[in-house]
Amino acid sequence: MRIVIDILIVISIFFAFAGVVGMLRMPDSFCRMQSSTNIATLGVLGVIIAGVLYAAFYLHDGAMAVKLVFMGIFYIITNPIAGHAICRGGYKHGVRPTKKYEVDKYGEDMVEE
Amino acid sequence: MKKASSSAVLSTAIVCYIFWLVITGQIVSIFQGAPSVQVLIAGLVVSFLVALFSARFFIHEKPFYLLGKLPSYLYYCFVIFPIELWKANVDVAKRALNPSLPVNPGIVKIPSNMKSEYGRAMLANSITLTPGTITMDITEEEGQTYYYIHWIDVASSDPEEAGEAIKGTLEKWTGRIWE
Amino acid sequence: MIMPELLFFAVCFIVLALCLLFRLIQGPSVVDRAVTADSIDILSDMALILFALYSGRSVFLDIAFITAILGFIGSTIVARYLEGRL
Repeated sequence: MRIVIDILIVISIFFAFAGVVGMLRMPDSFCRMQSSTNIATLGVLGVIIAGVLYAAFYLHDGAMAVKLVFMGIFYIITNPIAGHAICRGGYKHGVRPTKKYEVDKYGEDMVEE
Repeated sequence: MKKASSSAVLSTAIVCYIFWLVITGQIVSIFQGAPSVQVLIAGLVVSFLVALFSARFFIHEKPFYLLGKLPSYLYYCFVIFPIELWKANVDVAKRALNPSLPVNPGIVKIPSNMKSEYGRAMLANSITLTPGTITMDITEEEGQTYYYIHWIDVASSDPEEAGEAIKGTLEKWTGRIWE
Repeated sequence: MIMPELLFFAVCFIVLALCLLFRLIQGPSVVDRAVTADSIDILSDMALILFALYSGRSVFLDIAFITAILGFIGSTIVARYLEGRL
């Protein structure tokens, strides 16, 4: 069981690392947001599942395990809402990619209106 | 502003009450047989008060619809969606760690035929939650719903092909739940 | 039984969060800063969860939960402000 918990946390750290590297390297703002989603999904879920296993099997603390499950659900629900809101708000505020996109239907449709 | 129905208030109150039980740690005490009655009653009062004022922001359609579709919903949440999530995560992680950074970003517009408000929201959230795609906006033109999606690797700008690549499996299952 | 490597993993998350500070300071636009602040929030939450597991006290778990809620509200308000509807 201990090995399973360790492996889950290491997977989580790997995806968080990939997300951080992506956020530092990606060419423009919207691509960086994609990498931040990477942190907020598997980077979180590995730790949450490992924490539930640890709290249930080693600490014998049911309240902690239930609370961790709720935290996981909370992250999964709120992250896409915040990402979508920031993305649309930034685009409407005038943040544009540094290099012109190959396809940019949203910008074209906004100009027409 | 339109009034909330009583079933909407009831469903919001139930969700608030479960949240209260988890935060105060009572949900484990109930199973162990020693809950604190004061905390339970206080939570009941507070959650109904909160639901009375906030239900009209949350519930616009039938509140208990999802209970009838629970098996396919659970199957979607625990089998279909995690597989998609894992594939997309590995893909974006590979792109980020690749030294040559193979990205080709763009914003595509894809059609969808979801009718229900919750179904649209659920599909949009599923798309945003998979790394590599972010829903930017939803519009409705001539009865057809369109999603504007920022895509990290534009394979094709044709709406149908892009839609199939982005939301093929996801839309099949959310459609099965909400239609 | 206590797993001491949990502390090591928590330190790993903190180091990743510190790497993101570079993007927070340098980020050319406001979207970068908002998203990066959100990510730092999530990473430090992970470290708090691991520390709560290590020490066996659920106070840190409550703190992590409150931080998550505040981070979500903060980024949503920034988005609303950018859209010009606040």
